[in-house]
Amino acid sequence: MKTLFRRTIMAGAAMLALPLLAAAPARAATELRIMWYSDANEGDVMRDLLDRFEKANPDIKVVLDRVPYKTITDNLPALVSSGQAPDMARVTDLGGQSSYYLNLTPYLKDKAYWETNFKDVLPWVRPAGETDGVYGLMTQLTITMPIVNETLFQQAGIPLPGPTATWDDWAKAAKAVAAKLNVPIPIAIDRSGHRIAGPAISYGAKFFSADGQPALVDDGLKTMARKIYDWHKDGVMSKAIWGSVGGAAYRGANEEFSNGQVVLYMSGSWQFGQFAKTVGDGFDWHGVPNPCGPAGCSGMPGGAGLVAYKTSKHPAEIGKLMDYLASEPVYAEFHARTLFLTAHKGLMAKGISYAADKPQIKKSLDAAFANVKALSPVAFQLQGYRLNRVLFTPLTVRLNQAISGEMSLDDAFTRMTQDMQDGLKAAGAK
Amino acid sequence: MRAALARLIDWPFEALQRALGAARMPYVFVLPNLLVFGIFVVLPMLLNIWYATTSGAELMPGQRPFTGLANFAELLDCGNYLNVASCRQDRFWRSVDNTLWFVAFQVITMVVLSLITALVLNRKMALRGFFRAVFFYPVLLSPVVVALIWKWILQPDGVLNAILVANGGQRVPFLLDPSWSFFWTVVVSVWAHMGFYVLILLAGLQAIPPDLYEAAAMDGTPQWRVFWRITLPLLMPNMAVVLVLGLIRAVQAFDEIYVLTGGGPGTATQYIVQYIYETAFAGQVHIMGLAAAASMLVGGVLLVLTLLQLLASARAKQ
Amino acid sequence: MARLALRGIVRDYGTLRVIHGIDLDVAEGEFVVFVGPSGCGKSTLLRMIAGLDKPTGGDIEIDGIRVNDRSAAERGLAMVFQSYALYPHMTVRQNLAFGLENQRMPRAEIDRRIADAARMLQIEHLLARKPGQLSGGQRQRVAIGRTVTREPGIFLFDEPLSNLDAELRVQMRVELSQLHKRLRATMIYVTHDQTEAMTMADRIVVLRAGRLEQAGSPLALYNHPANRFVAGFIGSPRMNFLPATVSPNGVRVDGLDELALERFAVAQGAAVSLGVRPEHFEFVDAGGLPGTVDLVEHMGGESYVYVTLANGERITVRRPGQTGLVGGSNVRAAVLQGQAHLFHTSEGEAAVARL
Repeated sequence: MKTLFRRTIMAGAAMLALPLLAAAPARAATELRIMWYSDANEGDVMRDLLDRFEKANPDIKVVLDRVPYKTITDNLPALVSSGQAPDMARVTDLGGQSSYYLNLTPYLKDKAYWETNFKDVLPWVRPAGETDGVYGLMTQLTITMPIVNETLFQQAGIPLPGPTATWDDWAKAAKAVAAKLNVPIPIAIDRSGHRIAGPAISYGAKFFSADGQPALVDDGLKTMARKIYDWHKDGVMSKAIWGSVGGAAYRGANEEFSNGQVVLYMSGSWQFGQFAKTVGDGFDWHGVPNPCGPAGCSGMPGGAGLVAYKTSKHPAEIGKLMDYLASEPVYAEFHARTLFLTAHKGLMAKGISYAADKPQIKKSLDAAFANVKALSPVAFQLQGYRLNRVLFTPLTVRLNQAISGEMSLDDAFTRMTQDMQDGLKAAGAK
Repeated sequence: MRAALARLIDWPFEALQRALGAARMPYVFVLPNLLVFGIFVVLPMLLNIWYATTSGAELMPGQRPFTGLANFAELLDCGNYLNVASCRQDRFWRSVDNTLWFVAFQVITMVVLSLITALVLNRKMALRGFFRAVFFYPVLLSPVVVALIWKWILQPDGVLNAILVANGGQRVPFLLDPSWSFFWTVVVSVWAHMGFYVLILLAGLQAIPPDLYEAAAMDGTPQWRVFWRITLPLLMPNMAVVLVLGLIRAVQAFDEIYVLTGGGPGTATQYIVQYIYETAFAGQVHIMGLAAAASMLVGGVLLVLTLLQLLASARAKQ
Repeated sequence: MARLALRGIVRDYGTLRVIHGIDLDVAEGEFVVFVGPSGCGKSTLLRMIAGLDKPTGGDIEIDGIRVNDRSAAERGLAMVFQSYALYPHMTVRQNLAFGLENQRMPRAEIDRRIADAARMLQIEHLLARKPGQLSGGQRQRVAIGRTVTREPGIFLFDEPLSNLDAELRVQMRVELSQLHKRLRATMIYVTHDQTEAMTMADRIVVLRAGRLEQAGSPLALYNHPANRFVAGFIGSPRMNFLPATVSPNGVRVDGLDELALERFAVAQGAAVSLGVRPEHFEFVDAGGLPGTVDLVEHMGGESYVYVTLANGERITVRRPGQTGLVGGSNVRAAVLQGQAHLFHTSEGEAAVARL
């Protein structure tokens, strides 16, 4: 009895100790953690590329933590602020926590390569006040632009508006198509200030005052906001998108579009890959040129960036990984397979042979390229502004309240300005 | 061997007892739980006070400048308290307004429905055990599951609309209309939590001695009078508990409503907890100072309600 | 005051029959006690009379009218429950008034009745209190008061004294009897205590396993029990039973000599149970049944002598006054003439007729 008891204790202790012993040798390799979200297949493609990197660098292991987009927007900021940031993360709010980004420059092999090819977008990830240095790698360049369900136009027998059509032209056409075919949503716009910013700029919104200070409400913005307000009243836009959630919550219309319920969907180029999969051969779709206004035919540039954090313990390894991912062949492959636009100037000039077997993709990417060229400088300035969400969020929230009938449009404009000032005060007061 | 093990466990406690004396030993046993409570409840509450009296968008307390009662002043800055539009922080007041209406409707509906259900379930009827369990199942569900179930039922191409259309009716956008979505947040919230209160009231009903009802029968008492003069007065302690617990929970309503309507359309179903969450953690710059101040105001209200509940149950013990 | 008639009352629970056809007549103003061991159906019978339970078969008639389908309130009855069933959240006054308010009686009448009942039961000083603030005895009076104010045709009592201590019980027995005399009311009283039955009843109804064993005045049941069960149930201390065989001059108690008795109409050699009450034994020097004294209980006014007979059977003998007998003494117990009962050995069978 005594010996049996003693043996049991020994066995139990051994079972507890074994994993600890086994874990020891594994610690020899450096582990990098990337917090990553995906719109479509980027996660799979990235994993593939990382596997090859690991083979080439057997002492580095890269873990790709795939999380929902909401985790990036809601949870990651808190982690970063409290010193718990992962080594790297793919983020869309490039400026918000840029003060925590790791300066990659000392760890990169060839700084000049980066500066030549990423000249326009390097400022987007630089912390406030910095004018030099590489702080991140754009995983794509995106551009907001409408995507049209061409099959519906064909069925309705109405011609597609041309490349210089205005937003009013599109509204009329989409409404006609929807009425004829009993489609619930003529125009859908993602519930996001960022999405409306492009059209607003086309109608003359400046977003910044003459002395460079942020200024949200001007005539251009009011015009576009009023259009959207009126469209909800006329049924050109459905309350199912803007009215379905409250506050600052994001609401896309992906499902509605891929189910053929939307005629024109104002979203962006990052949707191409997803729609290729979800729509399949259901109907004919492609991206179209950004509709025009008196001030231009602009969208908003953007894109998620892969950044590293100062708190990481392995900056040298991060540098290696960044160099690998930014290298032309790897970067080209990433874009070819994910159907993303690229910020790499060299690749943009050479062109990328997209793995797009569908004509819709090719057509959309061509339109996207054209849209990139048509971007207004205001759009670039706005995207590069560190606190741009202080401008976008009140736009979403207050316009939504006006659309839902909680306040008049003029009240909404007043409140927007107030909210922006509150936000600036809170963010600026350090 | 077992005796040796027991001695091993005993040894530190005996040593402690020798050091502290038997009278202080109870504190040793309460200490772990107190520590947990202190770290995870009391400490955050104290930190919250710091957040409420500071401003800025930084998470780390040390980087937040002290501003005293400025946040509270801003929250309470209203031209006319009855007019949301005249308030500086109109979204706060709108959510307070929504919450007040929600609490009023939801609590009254739930207390009345729970009482009726408990009365019905107290009778001898077929499948009584089954029904008693069934009403409690929603309480066991996660609030997200509850909301998703109802969203699936209520959405424009959902079950309810399908039934309406099949019977020749019109499709109703339940969750896109301010009044309807408010109505449905009340319904879903009552549905999800009613079982718990039915249980409390049922226990109270079963504690009433059955021969009181027989004496009332011998006294020739009509049914309504039995309910009004005998059942209800004897159930009052439980009703008081249900009322206060229901009020507290209604003020804290968030989970299922956030998933069901997200506070929409517009801000029609945005209640106070969602406002606090969004101001502090979601959306734009995290204005944690305002959110912390708002949460303290809500906490004050809940404190008053809790004291009322303590009073009610103390009176019940008499 | 009302009279009650039960005709062939039967109560079934599914296939289980608990009341097997009971017939009974209760006259106006009579105090009838239903008595029997636990589970005999006395409470069930009372509840059916009250209207709280429905008989499966048979008729209940109050003042000649069949009331089976009438609710409890419509029968003109009032009941005192074993637990008193006072409304705990109401004052005594409200408890007393509750039933009267249901009848929409004018306030003045209600107050008058409450005042009368309170005076009669001496609870006037308790009217403003709640039941929780009363003692057991006070609560019982309030429960009785509640029935008195209703002025019912028949009063029903369901073991009302079982929750009281012994001394209070004795006192309440007397008061209940006095109440009965005063109100001259028809009362039906259920108890398991045969002492209560003997002291209060005009007529006792003995029930066992849902059957009416015997109904009659207390002394009738005492002196002429219809069967061995009633004989053993009524009377304290219990009647002594000895197994015996009928012999030419009396009976032969098993294992002992013949005992001379009066003549009984029963066959020679039949196996019987000889029943003798403790006070009907006397100690003789010769004859009788030999035995040894186990124990003597000295009550002062009487003594109980516990004897083990020579055949091993035990008997209890009551001696008036005090006795010098002690444990171990040898005695001979004889039966007083004309005081023996003979029963068939099975309890269910009627006693053998005495000649």
